[in-house]
Amino acid sequence: MNALAPARRAWLPRTLGTRLVLILAAGLLLAHALSFALLFYERAMATRGMMLAGMEQDVPVSVALLEHLPPAERMAWLPRLERRTYRYLLRPALPGTPLSSERARQVTELIGRSLQEHYALRARTVSTMPERYEVELTLADGQPLTIEVTPSLLPVARWLPWVLAAQVVLLLACAWLAVRLATRPLAQLAAAADKLDPARAGSPMPEDGPLEVTKAAHALNALQSRVAAHVSERMQILAAISHDLQTPITRMRLRLEAMDDSPAQARLLDDVTQLGQLVREGIDYARSANVAKGPAVRLNLGAFLDSVVGDYQDIGKPVQRGASERVALQTHPQVLRRIVQNLIDNALAHAGSAETALRVTPAGTVCIDVLDRGPGIPADSLEAVLQPFHRLEASRGRASGGTGLGLAIAQQLTQALGGRLRLANREGGGLRATIELDAAQPGAADAG
Amino acid sequence: MSHTDHILVVDDDRDIRQMVGDYLRKNGLRVTQAADGREMKAALETSDVDLIVLDVMMPGEDGLSLCRNLRAGKHRNVPVVMLTARDDETDRIIGLEMGADDYVVKPFSSRELLARINAVIRRARMLPPNLQVSEAARLIAFGQWRLDTTSRHLLDEEGTAYPLSGAEFRLLRVFVDHPQRVLSRDQLLNLTQGRDAEVFDRSIDLLVSRLRQRLGDAAREQAYIKTVRSEGYVFCQPVTLIGDAA
Repeated sequence: MNALAPARRAWLPRTLGTRLVLILAAGLLLAHALSFALLFYERAMATRGMMLAGMEQDVPVSVALLEHLPPAERMAWLPRLERRTYRYLLRPALPGTPLSSERARQVTELIGRSLQEHYALRARTVSTMPERYEVELTLADGQPLTIEVTPSLLPVARWLPWVLAAQVVLLLACAWLAVRLATRPLAQLAAAADKLDPARAGSPMPEDGPLEVTKAAHALNALQSRVAAHVSERMQILAAISHDLQTPITRMRLRLEAMDDSPAQARLLDDVTQLGQLVREGIDYARSANVAKGPAVRLNLGAFLDSVVGDYQDIGKPVQRGASERVALQTHPQVLRRIVQNLIDNALAHAGSAETALRVTPAGTVCIDVLDRGPGIPADSLEAVLQPFHRLEASRGRASGGTGLGLAIAQQLTQALGGRLRLANREGGGLRATIELDAAQPGAADAG
Repeated sequence: MSHTDHILVVDDDRDIRQMVGDYLRKNGLRVTQAADGREMKAALETSDVDLIVLDVMMPGEDGLSLCRNLRAGKHRNVPVVMLTARDDETDRIIGLEMGADDYVVKPFSSRELLARINAVIRRARMLPPNLQVSEAARLIAFGQWRLDTTSRHLLDEEGTAYPLSGAEFRLLRVFVDHPQRVLSRDQLLNLTQGRDAEVFDRSIDLLVSRLRQRLGDAAREQAYIKTVRSEGYVFCQPVTLIGDAA
């Protein structure tokens, strides 16, 4: 119940799988971003180191060269002196602003030191994004020379982002796989527990996979067999008691019948009859959980209902045959007959008459209806009347002859056939009991 | 008729045995009691028995296997009414497969048992002895149908089962047991009276028309059941027995 209550933290995803995937994905992305940042930082440091080292040797040589060249030839040499991050210009520095970054000041100092402080330097930042600054000095002949520095990282290889993206995708896929591996057995366990039918041994969960899963499956299977053993033991006790009661009840009955007629004898005979019926249905109920089904045959349901209704009509019971479709399906006629008879008996007991109908839903489910115009069942009791020994005090009494087992037996037997028994109140009064059976094979519905 | 029917009551419970015996005797039958299979066989050897009332649940050899052995021996024609412990289709079918003629569910009333005994004896008398062989056949084939005598349904050529009501089955059974023989309405009525004979109020004509419908036999063609004017009915398809009872 708790698991299905609305989550207190509504923002959390509902399933364990989604939560795990989210956590893993967030962690992975964060770690990835961090290493990416570190990589760039390290790379920036390395390029700057390289740049500075290059400048320290390169700038004095270039300045000395320009100093010695005749002014007319200087222009032609400039392109040859140009480097990736700085170049020389024969003009004064742009007005700009005072140097804004620590790095620019360091570079300016380095230039000054490498020129052995021969020149007065005037450094200006001309652009901050991207960073560009100019260092101006004046050659011996009065020509202004500007070193324009544009610091930049080494360009990143074009394939690198793709590789990184692929890596992230790969990691996420692995995380998803791992999560699935961990959560799927849980879902299977839940499904198996849902299907657990106390009355039947059922199909055990496969005990394979990782150790924890194997253990859980084993525990569930053990639980299932314990429950089944318990239920079957109780059923056997019920059957044994009921069975052993039959001989004494038979004796009582025969003895009573041998007595002279009297009102007391008649009443006792009634009691013995009721006792006998209770015992019979007790046995039926005990056996319905694990019914001997007899052979399965392809059964024409129309003819089947005709035969059941015919038997009632032959002994003068008001049972009618209603609308019908041509349907055949693979089933156990003996068990199905028992179910329909129980439902008709129930209708006869409470309504005095019954009607049967046969229909097929668009989804292919075969429905056998047993209808009556009796008092029906209060809506809140529709489920409860399928429980053994449940009776509606108002409408059912000993007078109507029910033991409270007929519907429970019908329900058990319907389940044994893999079907469902539904009860509903009809419009205009009365009860509709529906046996729903799935047509086992496609095409089963077309024969007739 | 001076003949008194001789009933052999086989039950391990002494009280039930005696009370059943007393009641049957009071109703003009001769009764011998047996507590188990051994006593039953001894009684069969020493006197002629018209019908056996046999309890299913007995210590030692149970009623079902006694019945099966009986059907295999020289007393195979003695009718058997089973006393079963529970009203279960499977039990009924097994009992009938083992060769029982009818059954009564415990706790039963003596009147009910007597009615069954009389019905079975009457039916046995009605059947000409040479036609009782089909008791042993599980499947009886005729026309496009096969009749499963234990599950009590018709099988079409594709093996789809068409169940029959009790009365329809009994009537069809009488017909296929006596093919090509004209059966009078009285005979048919007697032979098809079943478990609830007292309230069986359908006329044979109505039942025959219902059975014709089941068989897909148009009233005009009458391929299976022909009406013989002022005499009765005749089943006009040849009948083949397939397989033996398990």
